[in-house]
Formats: sequence, C-alpha cells, structure tokens
Amino acid sequence: MTRKIRVDHLSRVEGHGRIKVEIEDGKISELQFSIFEGPRFFEAVALGRKYDQVHSVMARICAICSAGHKITSIMALEDALGVEVTEQTKLLRELYYHGMFIESHVLHLYFLALPDYLGYPSAIAMVSDHGPVVERALQMKKLANDIQEVCSGRPIHGENPVVGGFGQVPSADQLRTLHDRLQEYLPAAEETVSLFAGLDYPSFTKAPTVFYAVKPDGDLFSYFGSSIACSDGRVIAMKDYRQVCEEKVLPYTSAKQSLPGGQPFMVGALARVNLFASTLTPRAARALEQSGISIPSDNSLHNNLAQAVETLYSFERAIDIIEDLFRRGLKQEPPVEVRPKAGVGIAGTEVPRGTLYHEYELDDEGRVVKANVVTPTAQNQANIEKDFRNCVTRMHEEADDVQLTKYLEMIARAYDPCISCAAHYVELVRR
Amino acid sequence: MSKPKVGIFGLTGCAGCQLAIINCEDELLDIVGAVDLKSFVMAQSNNEETEFDVAFVEGSVVTREDEHYLKEIRSKSGILVAIGSCACFGGIQAAANDREREDLLQIVYGTKENFYEARKVAALHEVVKVELQIPGCPIEKSEIISGIASLLRGDTPLIPTYPVCLECKYKENLCLLKERGDMCLGPVTRAGCDARCPSHGVACRGCRGPVEEANTASEYSILLEKGYAEEDIKRALRTFAYATELKEKL
Repeated sequence: MTRKIRVDHLSRVEGHGRIKVEIEDGKISELQFSIFEGPRFFEAVALGRKYDQVHSVMARICAICSAGHKITSIMALEDALGVEVTEQTKLLRELYYHGMFIESHVLHLYFLALPDYLGYPSAIAMVSDHGPVVERALQMKKLANDIQEVCSGRPIHGENPVVGGFGQVPSADQLRTLHDRLQEYLPAAEETVSLFAGLDYPSFTKAPTVFYAVKPDGDLFSYFGSSIACSDGRVIAMKDYRQVCEEKVLPYTSAKQSLPGGQPFMVGALARVNLFASTLTPRAARALEQSGISIPSDNSLHNNLAQAVETLYSFERAIDIIEDLFRRGLKQEPPVEVRPKAGVGIAGTEVPRGTLYHEYELDDEGRVVKANVVTPTAQNQANIEKDFRNCVTRMHEEADDVQLTKYLEMIARAYDPCISCAAHYVELVRR
Repeated sequence: MSKPKVGIFGLTGCAGCQLAIINCEDELLDIVGAVDLKSFVMAQSNNEETEFDVAFVEGSVVTREDEHYLKEIRSKSGILVAIGSCACFGGIQAAANDREREDLLQIVYGTKENFYEARKVAALHEVVKVELQIPGCPIEKSEIISGIASLLRGDTPLIPTYPVCLECKYKENLCLLKERGDMCLGPVTRAGCDARCPSHGVACRGCRGPVEEANTASEYSILLEKGYAEEDIKRALRTFAYATELKEKL
C-alpha cells in the first residue's frame, strides 16, 4: 500500500527545514530531517578579518541567539589572544545572556509551541480567547529585549560587546529600571512554568538519550563553564570539544551533523535541567518540583517544560546579577587593552538551543586563518531523526496521516530548531 | 476599504528582520489588526497561497531555490518591499562574493560538491523589481512601523539620505574616526539608526549599507592615513553591501 502525505510549510520554527518519512509495508524505508537554509559560508567570511572585526560578523549567523554567537566568538578570540576580562564584564555578559534566554524561550514557548498544544494556528490567533496569556508573553519578551538593548546597544546584533569588554558600560539608571521590571514580571515567569507543567506531553519519543551541556565551574546552574558534562558521567575539557561533535557532512542538509562515535545525543534546555536541576535558583527549583515531571527525563517533548523552568531561572539570576553589580560598585571601565598575537582560541557556552562552540586560529597580526562554529541545532539533528524514528515506529498503526504529521511537527518544534527562516514542508510517504 | 493583504517572507538570512517585526511588542497587535496577514510562516501556520498587496521579503538570494521562491512572491505581489541589508544589498553572506562557490564549499563543508545549488549572492533588486528598500542589520523597529503606516496611507516611507555622521553629530559624540582613529564607517553609511554604535563608543560597521553618493574614496584614504592596511579596509567596507552597491568601487 502506498500513501502519500505532504504538508506544505512546517511553520512556526525558525528555519528552512524539511521532514521526509517513507513507510513501506509498515517499516520505515527512509527518514530524513534536512536543513534547507542556503549556505552562508560564515567560516569563510571570517577568514582574513582582524580579531576586532570578527564577532560582529559571526553574530549575524542567527538573530534569536545573536547574543550567544557574539559572546562565544568574543570569548574564543580572547582565549586566542590571552585576554582576561574583568568580573564586571563577565557579569554583564551573563546578564546579556539572560536577556537572550528569556526572549528566545518566551518566543518559542508562547509563539511557536503553545499554539500546537492549545489548537491554534498562531499566538496572534489566540488573542481573542487567551488575551492575558499573549499579553503576558509580549511583556516578558519586551523586557528581555530591553535587557539585550541595555547590554548590547540593540535588541538584535548589538555592537556594544567587544573583545576585552564593552564599548560603554550600561548606566546605573538603566540597570535599576531593568531590576524593577524583572521583579514586577517574576510572577509571570512563574505562571509560565505552571502553564507548561499543565500541558499533556505525549511519550511517543521516550527512549534512552545521551545529554551534553557545558559544566558550570561553580555550584550554581549557569550557561557558562570551562568543561563539558555528559549524562554518562564523563567530563570533557573545552579544548577537546571535537570529541563531542565530530561533524559529518550529509548530502541532504546544509547543516553539518554531529555524531560522536556515531551516537545521536541531545543538547538544550532539557539536557541542562537533566544534568544540573539540583543547582537551580530557589523559585525555579520549586517550580520544577511542583510540575510533577520527574527529572531526569528521557522524553524530548519535556524540553518545553525545561525552557519554562530556565525562563524563571534567568529572571532570578538576572535580578541577582544586577544586585551584585551594584554591591561591587558599577564602574564605567574601558575594554581591556588587546595586543594582537598568534594563537588558537576555543569557547563553548550554553545558548537557548544547546551548546554553541566557536574556534579561531589567529596569525601574529591577529587575523583569522581558521574558523569553526558548531551550532546546537546541528548537534541535535541526529537525535531529532532518532525521535522521528521512534515515533513513527510506535504510532504509525494507530495514527492516521494527519496525526502522524502533527506528531512529527511537534517533535521538531520541541527542539526549537534554529535554522533561521521559515521551514518548508514535511513530506511523508507511506507505501 | 478592505484591509491590504500582506505577506512576510524570508529567503536566506538570519531571520532577524522578521524577528524585528515580532519584536514590535507594543504595536504588534495593532499591526496585525490593520492588515490582513495572509502569510508569515515564521509566526503562524494558517498561511495562504494568494495574491498580496504588499510583500515584505527578508534575506538574500543564495540558492536557486531562493531565486524561484522570490520570483513566485514577485508574481503574486503588488508592492515588494526588501527588508534588511541582506535583501537590499546582499548582506553578510555576500561578503565572500569574490570567491568561487566551489572554494567556499571546500573551506566550510570540505567538499566541492554543490549539493545546495549555491549561487553568487544577490540582493533582491538584482533578480526582480523591488518597489521599496528598508535597510539595516537588522531593520529598525521605528522604520518598519512607519513603513507599514505609510504604505497603509498609500504613501512611501522616508528613508534617510544622509550619513550616520549627521545623527552622531546631533548626539555630540566624540568622532571615533578623527579623534580616536577607529575604523568607523559612519561617513559612508546611511543614517536611520540614531548612530547607535558610535554612541556606545563602538565604530560604525556600515550595517545599513552605503548612503547615497557615498564618498568611499575619501573614507578609504582617511583610513589609509590612519595606518590601516588596504586589505582590512576593503574587508570592512565589503561586510554588508558587497553584492551590489560597492562592487565597482572596491
């Protein structure tokens, strides 16, 4: 028997992605998750550029995690140049990250994922029935963009963060205003966790999964650290990041896939919460406990709940950082002076969708001679295919084509794949 | 009068200009109330294949697929608006336009095989007719809102024809080019950003593309005088607008 289904436009993801599944006599004969974004050759555009011109280019890889690309590339360049930044710079960079996390998670949770669970085509269409929920999301998103604007000079692709620090340190007034608004919307972040804890998460993808995330250096949950933790207990030094993501080029996708030892793995909010839940901030820890979902979880759809928990964590941590900055005495300090020199630098940080790695080799004038970037979605790609496989194998008999397609879209969206742009279509062929 | 049918589309890029529209948190519901939003794949799933009074297109033409998609949008749209520097000038991905695609594929993917049908990067107006360009990397919130408002009134929005320097002077900033010797591209870059970067003590990188009648030669010689190497100046000037505006000058 041959059945063909084709759903044009897998919407509400940030990318040109395509799902192709073929089922022949009840068995999967072909299964691909392909990324269709046109190749943009960032690694080549970076070549020859001086160290102070590179991060501005690399941030443009992605708008939603622009802060992640900017700071990770700056940190890798500083690693190559032997630059040590001040504690204040580190705190402000972290604050910038919390702006990115809240913005990205709120956008994904309310605008891209929630319509699936509540049965609407978009968050805009939810306004008449769920006005206060959409309004709450917009207000949190706006606050998060304002955090990014205060830290970087613009909500997207801000140029204020530079190698060595910041062009201009945010003013005390700006930080105080953000602090008050974070306090004001803290309950909204808590309601976000309750909302996502109350959704029904199907378990059709549940399977043993390997998780990786940057390991915080201290005892507190963090998006920064100097090594990588794996759910199998291993700890890998940052300089050995290629052990995690040896990249493979496949003919059907313009993202390079990561497969350490041929095994799929997952990065992102669920990986971080699974690995480090016991180190969360008090409210986030309590909210996770009250959600009733047991952690660690092998159900990748729980990524949505983990994102909600991290949203609350980022609210709490951003408030702490601003208070810490004031305690230390906010200083209008210039960037640390940089002397160009040859070297190799590597940085890995957690961005909303998982671990992001940047690596640069500089010549003695500080020009890039080699660049490598590994994005979270490239690392998750094989695991998304694994989940598709489990879902199709388990559900193809009871689910009709419409349902099965919906399940596959839900899985893809749970990972929040960031491919930049609009996804094209799911193609499902049954024979 | 019926509401104008609007579509918001993305070719190859970072999705930042579409995100800048979603980021109009205070105005978003008013905007979607004033128009009939028929297609916005990044934000909704009930998209229609229909005719559009106005199509906003982000990103540049990087693959054959982008080219076909853009021509299809053009054929269905009354007014086509290029949003962002990728759509207006080719953007960052055009910065390597002087190299063969095969070489780039070798550098990035380790293979010369052109699976993705990559082509030389082009701005929208090099492929189809474009009625209006709103530059920026990304576009400014204020320009997209006033752009939509003008189009609703049947007018075209005003995009500044003067350089970033003018806005920078109004803000009484220190001149980063003259006083500090930074590689600031403010003199040759279109204003409209309120000199965001120089106001933070960071040199303008030229993300809004060249201003009309930009005196690139003069900028070039000032930077040479300041001691910058020719290759560094060229690379900086090529960053956002190499596909179109600056090709002949560099």
